[in-house]
Amino acid sequence: MTDLRAGVVGAGFIAAAHVNAYGATPGVRLVAVADPVADKAMELAARADAKAVADLEQVLAAGVDVVSVCTPSPTHADLVVRALEAGLHVLCEKPIARTLQDAQRVEQASRRASGLLMIGHVSRFEPDHRRAKDLVEAGHLGEVRMLSHSTTSSMPGWSEGDWLSDQEESGGPLVDLAVHSFDFAAWLTDSEPIRVHAVGADTAAGPCTYALATVRYANGAIALVETSWGHPVSYGFKLSSEVVGTDGRLSWDYDHLAGGTLHVAEREVTRWEPLGDRGFRAEVRAFVDAIRASAPSPVPASAGVTALRTSLAARESVRNGTMVDLTTWGRA
Amino acid sequence: MTVGVAVLGCAHVSHAWSYARSLSVSSTARLVGVFDVDPQLCEPFVRDFDAPVYPDAAALVEEADVDAVVVCSATADHRSYVEMAAERGRHVLCEKPLATTVHDAAAMIAACQRGGVQLHCAFVSRFLPLVQQARTVLQAGQLGDVIGMVAGNRGRPPLPPQYPDWITSPSQAGGGALIDHSVHVTDVLRHLTGREVRRVSAEVDSLLWGLSVDDVALMTMTFDGGAVASIDPSWSVPAGNPWDYDFYCRILGSVGSLSITDTAESLQLVSRHVGSGLRNVSFGADADTAMIEAFTASIRSGTVLDPCADGTDGLRALEVALAGYESAHQRQMVDLPRPQP
Repeated sequence: MTDLRAGVVGAGFIAAAHVNAYGATPGVRLVAVADPVADKAMELAARADAKAVADLEQVLAAGVDVVSVCTPSPTHADLVVRALEAGLHVLCEKPIARTLQDAQRVEQASRRASGLLMIGHVSRFEPDHRRAKDLVEAGHLGEVRMLSHSTTSSMPGWSEGDWLSDQEESGGPLVDLAVHSFDFAAWLTDSEPIRVHAVGADTAAGPCTYALATVRYANGAIALVETSWGHPVSYGFKLSSEVVGTDGRLSWDYDHLAGGTLHVAEREVTRWEPLGDRGFRAEVRAFVDAIRASAPSPVPASAGVTALRTSLAARESVRNGTMVDLTTWGRA
Repeated sequence: MTVGVAVLGCAHVSHAWSYARSLSVSSTARLVGVFDVDPQLCEPFVRDFDAPVYPDAAALVEEADVDAVVVCSATADHRSYVEMAAERGRHVLCEKPLATTVHDAAAMIAACQRGGVQLHCAFVSRFLPLVQQARTVLQAGQLGDVIGMVAGNRGRPPLPPQYPDWITSPSQAGGGALIDHSVHVTDVLRHLTGREVRRVSAEVDSLLWGLSVDDVALMTMTFDGGAVASIDPSWSVPAGNPWDYDFYCRILGSVGSLSITDTAESLQLVSRHVGSGLRNVSFGADADTAMIEAFTASIRSGTVLDPCADGTDGLRALEVALAGYESAHQRQMVDLPRPQP
């Protein structure tokens, strides 16, 4: 079986996670990394002994079978549609797109495409979230009735030209960060969101950089999603989650997962986070396995659309002070 | 070409099942068959892995496509199965402790040398990612010289019906909690420091469950170079505790300190279907599978690969455990190595 040839478009923070994951996956070889910022492309490409190029067209010219799209959200749709039309298999970072129109354009393109499109909702592949899903599927919680999912941090400092700070570009934490939570909640409850209402507050990081969204699902389950870019820099990134079902309750949080604590001389304490790059590795493995097996997409475009629609509806709710009916809002 | 593996003896039921599961999902190995003197013990392997059951151990070992065996019998029976495999040129992964006596362990090592086969000891704790990460820190000198260590592997009492009788039989198991669990921890401390144990003292007794073997033990030791350590291998975990087994290690070095614990990496569950009260559900990496993969990779490469434990590692940890029993019995510290009889 010949190796799949892979390209990564974008050479930023998340692209590095994809590059590492391709490197750890048997049967696939990274051949090109594209970024308009030549230094970033070269540095990341060098890590994987791949070619540094400027854009998707040059990745296509290098001859690839699969491509990861890891660029700023507003650019996802054009790149994914182009790559699918070129016959490639595509792993698109979350969110699927920045607008619903773009997201629906991507979904339509994926229906016509010969290649597989997977949306990078990496939470599903993180070992903690995966084990939570396993416990629910094994029936240990009975029917899931409510959950909370919180992802909070300071303003990420790694985005090129600080595009995450521009709400037109990124959509703020409700779109860029909470989209993980909305996807996880729909996946865990195995149900469609039917209603969302949200409140937001401004922080030093910008308008509406702290938000709380409540989502109702078709099967009755209720989810609370907390998201923040307004925490102190020293706080780091934290996740906590609770799931309550008719037969049980499940919880975990990043403050209590560190299996190792290292103190060296006068330096700051190091806590060993158990998750590391395990989620991205499992995500890329699932992507490659599905391609090899001609199996359905592990995370299809429809899931990406649902998560984005929930995010955008939550923003609408904050803006207008209304509950948003997801059975009609933003439907194609 | 995959490595054909037979499971020889299933009396260490949960471990045998877990290794068989790892073999059944491996892309580098295949499960050829299982044998136990008690055919009933083989039933889960048929049910879960569709494994052929052999009525005769030698017939299984002699199958042309058996390259290696995994021995999971009662500890006192390890030697006869290991010798049977070694004589027929089959590589061996033997459950821990390697044997109940130093004499048997040495004979197993010699038999595998004569047979030109690898002998691995199933010290699965080496394959915990936290242990390997700790080893990297120590090898890089980040802690300086090791001064002191406190480590443990506590567990539930291995009582029937979940556990077979032999585990709490002095003659079949060679002892209780001390020999059962301390060998894992001693091995990890040797593996982390690269040092040998030179002096052992222990308190050992049956204090909790009314067993004919020890369920509580505390062993202290001094390593080459002067580092000291204490190990808690007790079967001291009551029903209702959030976890059944743990592995932890706290290390003080001359320029740093490190603490690892494998129970951190888990979700907290309360379920009317799972135990009573709060449970930790681990999402840690599967160390059993990592060990099985490293075993088959070693066979394919013709050499025992790092971080696998070999027969000598098994013997060293056993010597320390037996020295612990001797110390508790004699009420004095015991120096290693013991004089040759």
